[in-house]
Amino acid sequence: MGGPAALMMAMAGVGRILLAHSGTMISPDLNRQVLGNEQVLGKPRATHFAEYLRSMNRFIEVEAIDHEPDDEEAHQLAGRSDLVVACPPTFEERLRLNRASVAAGIPFIDAAQWGISGTLMVLQSPRTACLECVYPTPPPFEELFPVVGAISSAIGSLAALEAIKVLSGTGDPLWGKMLSYDGNRGIPTVISLTRNPQCPCCQETAEDAG
Amino acid sequence: MKIHLVLTGRAYQQGEQLPGQLELPDQSRLSDALAAITAALPEGESLQGSCLLALGGTHVGTVDQHQDPQLTEGQELLLIAPVAGG
Repeated sequence: MGGPAALMMAMAGVGRILLAHSGTMISPDLNRQVLGNEQVLGKPRATHFAEYLRSMNRFIEVEAIDHEPDDEEAHQLAGRSDLVVACPPTFEERLRLNRASVAAGIPFIDAAQWGISGTLMVLQSPRTACLECVYPTPPPFEELFPVVGAISSAIGSLAALEAIKVLSGTGDPLWGKMLSYDGNRGIPTVISLTRNPQCPCCQETAEDAG
Repeated sequence: MKIHLVLTGRAYQQGEQLPGQLELPDQSRLSDALAAITAALPEGESLQGSCLLALGGTHVGTVDQHQDPQLTEGQELLLIAPVAGG
């Protein structure tokens, strides 16, 4: 869902996008990775996705990072960014990006999917919970999981919308909330997320903020 | 007391095996509701530990790590199983 999110941000004119994605394009990705196509199978995803984004808006800068950033690199990248939109396939990667966002003091938008359902959170500790407050223990990794591209595009586009709202100061972003879209029943639900005062990730930041 | 139970998103299919309403003794707590849910699940099945819990629209933790507030009549208990697909 990082593809739809990046595409919508590029088309909206978000001026600089750092796009991190490891690996090469494989055919099972074609059901949801809207920045790829049959012609780029076997080729590095980040490079081609960045090229596609540039083809959609010549006024923006897109930087391709063809690997998953480690902790140090994630911190460096967050330090160069105004916000992070997290769409990786594992909680380990999401929590790493969350740590980097908390350290940099920037908003963190988490978009995730499974099957035909998805979740979206807009966080910025200490004003809200951080991702580690919500998931103190990373849920188990799943090598294979069902994905329908329509939910990927829907949640990815909503993530882009929240990012655009935050960046432009428009509307009322979903600060500190989770939107859960139950695709089985077509029902959206919004809940307020609670900070964990003992959160090992954001406790210190909150204390510094007073 | 009666508590409305909603399992959403990925937890939806597990929710089909459960009643939409829990009947609990007065002054029950969240942990009592979770015990009642676990008892109602088919043998060998359990709620995922990282499943999020919300009471009346406010997040109160996960199945494994949560506050244990006293429940009130008619409150809605929402369970959202974690998803990380990208």
